[in-house]
Amino acid sequence: MSYSLATLWYERSRYLPGVLAVAFSSLLIALQCGLLLGLFSITSLPIDHTHADIWMGAPKVLSVDLGESIRESISARLENQPEVTRTEMFLQGFSYWAKPAGGRELCMIIGSNLGDNALGRVDALDPDLRSKLSEPGAVVIDDSDVGRLGMKGVGDTAEIAGPKGPRTVRVVGLTHGLKSLAGPYVFCSHGTAREHLTMLEGQTTYVLGKCRNPADAETVVKRLKEQYPDQSTFTSAEFSYRSRMHWLTKTKAGIALGYAAALGLLVGAVVTYQTLSAAVKGSLREYAVLRALGIPRWRMALAVMAQSFWVGVIGVGLSFPAVYALAFVAASMGLDVILPWQLLVMATGVTLTMALLSGLLALRTLRQVEPAMLLR
Amino acid sequence: MMVDPTSERPLLGRQLTRVFGEGEMRTTALNEVSIELERGQVALLMGPSGSGKSTLLAVLSGLLQPDSGQVMALGQDLWKMAEIQRERFRLKHCGFIFQGYNLFAALTARQQLEMVVRWGEGGSAKEARRRANEMLTLLGLGKKAHLRPSELSGGEKQRVAIGRALIKDPEFCFADEPTSALDWAHGEQVIELLRNAAHERNATVLIVAHDARIIPYVDRVYNLEDGCLHENEEEGRAEEPHDHTGRNGNASAPLPQHTLRRFLQ
Repeated sequence: MSYSLATLWYERSRYLPGVLAVAFSSLLIALQCGLLLGLFSITSLPIDHTHADIWMGAPKVLSVDLGESIRESISARLENQPEVTRTEMFLQGFSYWAKPAGGRELCMIIGSNLGDNALGRVDALDPDLRSKLSEPGAVVIDDSDVGRLGMKGVGDTAEIAGPKGPRTVRVVGLTHGLKSLAGPYVFCSHGTAREHLTMLEGQTTYVLGKCRNPADAETVVKRLKEQYPDQSTFTSAEFSYRSRMHWLTKTKAGIALGYAAALGLLVGAVVTYQTLSAAVKGSLREYAVLRALGIPRWRMALAVMAQSFWVGVIGVGLSFPAVYALAFVAASMGLDVILPWQLLVMATGVTLTMALLSGLLALRTLRQVEPAMLLR
Repeated sequence: MMVDPTSERPLLGRQLTRVFGEGEMRTTALNEVSIELERGQVALLMGPSGSGKSTLLAVLSGLLQPDSGQVMALGQDLWKMAEIQRERFRLKHCGFIFQGYNLFAALTARQQLEMVVRWGEGGSAKEARRRANEMLTLLGLGKKAHLRPSELSGGEKQRVAIGRALIKDPEFCFADEPTSALDWAHGEQVIELLRNAAHERNATVLIVAHDARIIPYVDRVYNLEDGCLHENEEEGRAEEPHDHTGRNGNASAPLPQHTLRRFLQ
C-alpha cells in the first residue's frame, strides 16, 4: 500500500470531509445530468418509441414537436431510395383539449398508422388499443396525464379544438410511461388527428421511412440531404438527439445545470483543499525532517497529489451507489434519471480533476515546510 | 566542486556569525564562532537556553545560512553552493535527529525508514524494505517494525528517528536535543547509538544538548555562551571505552551495540 493510501486510511476521520465533498460533487453532477437527460428524453419520445429509421419533415425543423406541414407527395423522394422498403405518414401538432369541468389544456396530437408493423405508432399501443383507436374520435392518453386533462379514466369524453370547430373525443385506453413536457400526448388514428390539426388535404407533418437494413439509414439520409435541401431529413437517432438538444439549449436548462454543477464543484474543491491543506499542516514537522534529510520538495508534492487522487477516487467510488439509490428514489416518484456510462465517466473525470486541482492548491502549504523550524 | 571524503576534519566552521532581529530585539546567536569536528568522533555542544547551540548546528548542517563566516564540509564551502546542491549534499551526507521524534503517525516504523530510501535515493521497494529491516534489527526494533508511533514507547520512537537518520549511512549526523524527551535509561541508549555511529561508522556526530549526563559518552565537549564557543578539554573522553552494562542498568532493554558493530564490520 502506498504511503499516501496508508495515511488516508489511518487518518480517515481527518480526510473524511474531503472524501465526502468529492462524493457530493460527483453525486450532484451525475444526478443533475441524469435528471436533465431523463427530462428531455420526453421531448424525443415520439421518435424513441416508434420504429422508423428515417424522418423527413419541413426544412430546418428544430425538434420533433415543432414539425410543420409538408406535402405528402414528397414521400416519393424517400420511396425512390433503393434501401427504403416502405414509407408512412406521421401527423403531429398542438391543439387544445377542453376539460369537461372547464378550462383548456394544450395537447400534442399524434396520428399514426395503427397496423402491426406501422412505423409511427408508439409501441405502448397494444392490438386491443389499436383496434379501439380505429374508431373515429377515439384517443389514448397517458395515465400520468389523466388528471391534467380533467379526465376520470377510460370512457370519459372531452372536446379537442380543430379547424372545423371542436370535436368530441373519447378516451379508449391509457398508456403508461409516455409523459409529456409541453402538453399531454393524445394518440389517435390519422383520421382522428386530421379533425384536430390545421392541415390541408394531402399534407402531413413527417414522412417516415424504413430501410431494409437499418444501418443504411445514414447513407440514405446523407444522400437525401444533398439532393433535397428544401426538407429536413434525419436518421431517428440524429433527430432524437437534435430534439433533446434543442430543448436543453432553448430552455437554458443546460446553463442552469452548468451553474449548479459549478457551484457544487466549487464547494467540493474548497472543502477538499482545506482537508488536504490541514493534513499537510498536521505533518509539517515530519515533512521538515524529510527536507532536512535532503528529500526534495517535489517528492512531498507528489505525495500530496497522490493523496488528492485517492481522496478523489474514494469520493467518486462512494458517490455512485448513492447516485443509483437516489435515481431509484426519483424513479419511484415518477422522475426519470438516465445514467449512461458516458455520463458516469464524465462525472468521474470532472470530479477527479477537481480533487487534483484541490491537491495542487494544497501544495502551497508545503512551502511552510522549513527544516529550521525543528531546532529549538 | 569535489568532495573530500578522506579529510580528517570533514566539518569546519570559520568565523561564523548569525544575528536575529533588529534594533532592540537584535540578538547575536553566533559571534565569530569557529569549530572543527573530526571524523569518527562525537562532539557535544552545550550551553544555556538561547545560547545559540541549535543555531550553530543549523548553520553547520546547511539548514540555516550564517550572516558571515564559512562552513567547509568535506572540502566544500556549504554556503557557497546553490540551494539545490546543498539539498543534494544533505541528502547524500547528512542525517538529522530532532527532539520530538517527528514520525508520520500513519506509517509503521519500517515505512518511516523505507521512505528515506525510496524518496531520497529512488531505491526500489524491495531494497528499501531490506535496508529498513536491517537497520531496525540493529536498533533492537526488528520485532516492532510493523508498529506505528502510537504503539511505540518514547525511546523506541527516538530509535526509529535515529534509524531514519542513519539508514543513508551518512558522513555527518546532527542531533538536536535527542534525549530531552526521554528518561535517562532511554536517553543513554540513544547516546550509545550515536556514539556507535561515530566510532564504528566513522561518522562525524554533533549533539546539541544541555544534559550533563551525556558528557562521559562523548569525545569532545564545547560550551556556547552568548554566541561564543569554548572547548572544555577536561570533559571529553575521546577513545575511552565505556562500561555500558554498569551505566545502563536496564537489563530489559539491552543496547544493540554488539549487533550494530557486527553490521558495521
